[in-house]
Amino acid sequence: MTLLQSIKNYVRSKSIHVSYVDVGSCNGCDIEVLACLAPRYDIEQYGIYVHNNPREADILLVIGAYTPGWEEKLEMVWNKIPEPKVAIAIGNCPISGCLFNRPHTYIDPPVSKHIPIAASVPGCPPRPTEILNAVLSLAPVVFKDYEVKKR
Amino acid sequence: MKKTVDVSIPLGPIHPCFKEPARVKCETKGEFVTGAEVELGYMKKGIERIMKGRPWQEVMFLAERVCGICSVIHNMVFIEALEKMSGIEVPERAALLRVVVNELDRMQSHTLANFSYCYTIEHETLGMYLLDMREKVMDLLELITGARVTCAYIVPGGVRFDLREEDRESLLASLDAIETDVRRYMGMFEGGSLIGLRSRDIGILSKEAALEAHAVGPTARASGMPEIDRRLQHPTYQKLQFTPVSRDGCDNFSRIMIRFDELLQSIELIRRCSALLPEGPVRGGGIPGAGEIVYCGEAPRGELTYFIKTDDAGRILDISIQTPSIMNIEACCHYMLKDAASIADVPSTFVSADPCIACTER
Repeated sequence: MTLLQSIKNYVRSKSIHVSYVDVGSCNGCDIEVLACLAPRYDIEQYGIYVHNNPREADILLVIGAYTPGWEEKLEMVWNKIPEPKVAIAIGNCPISGCLFNRPHTYIDPPVSKHIPIAASVPGCPPRPTEILNAVLSLAPVVFKDYEVKKR
Repeated sequence: MKKTVDVSIPLGPIHPCFKEPARVKCETKGEFVTGAEVELGYMKKGIERIMKGRPWQEVMFLAERVCGICSVIHNMVFIEALEKMSGIEVPERAALLRVVVNELDRMQSHTLANFSYCYTIEHETLGMYLLDMREKVMDLLELITGARVTCAYIVPGGVRFDLREEDRESLLASLDAIETDVRRYMGMFEGGSLIGLRSRDIGILSKEAALEAHAVGPTARASGMPEIDRRLQHPTYQKLQFTPVSRDGCDNFSRIMIRFDELLQSIELIRRCSALLPEGPVRGGGIPGAGEIVYCGEAPRGELTYFIKTDDAGRILDISIQTPSIMNIEACCHYMLKDAASIADVPSTFVSADPCIACTER
């Protein structure tokens, strides 16, 4: 491993920028992601910074069951995120549509049809600790030695 | 007359300050905002279409997931509408426990709204304090109902679980701690000079404008309309001698302060409920039958109306929901944002009306 790669690994392990996008959920998972910011869970102690700017993000949290309003727009958001990037599905909605996936619905789950999803956190809604755990366990797998793996 | 617009600035659908996707298009003349328009439709799931033709046992959980922030009130209004339609009696203890859970839900929703506002005006310290306090309220909600967000606590003819005596004591003890916190944060918000500069006299919604836009909930109560509160018509709240609060400031500052006022009021209501709580069963039973009803309740954001029509087996034939946020978004875009002095005030004014996009579009 080169020195440059080890510096990159170190920096990436301490600074993960998270962006979240709501593609049609009930809001329950949104506020559980927000609750991760609370001093009780304190997501920033792990170097994770939550803000809603896809252009600076490393991890995209996808919440919701993909409504028609997001057609092509979600792909646009995904393309704006610089490499290396990863998407995590939060809640049951992006996985299966949860209880909205019934006859006469407008939604089009799963979200993995539209953008590549690396991990899912099931639950309706999942607890903040589970969301935190998913982000923390996925980040080193994806970002460590990214350039080596790419080659 | 030809309209002179310098730039049309869109905010959203993904914006650091908005929790949910909505697009606010501001027409500006320099830094001065002359008008705003909101574009919705990013969250339309068609819940009412799914609900039709399904038994109430399923629709109950769908109704709860109309909004994840104020899920308890959706559950409560739907079940109470069914009960009123079919003449199901609720035991006294269950009726009071419903109010306890509903007020806890209102507390966490108002705290979240105030957190969003503080975060939007970049007062992150107070925002984090409020978010930490919200976790304490969520703990109480979990203690009583067993779940943090979608708890499905209210069932026809009562509530799902009883409140144990030791849980009641810990509830009251936590409420004392929360009240101390709320008073401290209220003082911080009221006394902060920079907060005052960002909030006072910004986003004015006068009483006439609020009447014209049919503003509801805390947004209307901050413009001096206490009578808008639907809790005045609820029998259990009438028994608790509930009186709504109001403020006359009409600006962003009043809208945040009225939520703090309501937090203290909710704590007081839960204490009154706890003192009145009689011994007895919490589930009386009963099966919803055929009927048609329009029923209203007071959600944390304002008046919530359900129209329900069922058949003999309790299947939902027709349902339509009117949620409070749509009126507040209208009031926000056409009255508050009009003539805003700066584009920087647009997100904070929009957040101060506490819009819930998931509720609005369903």
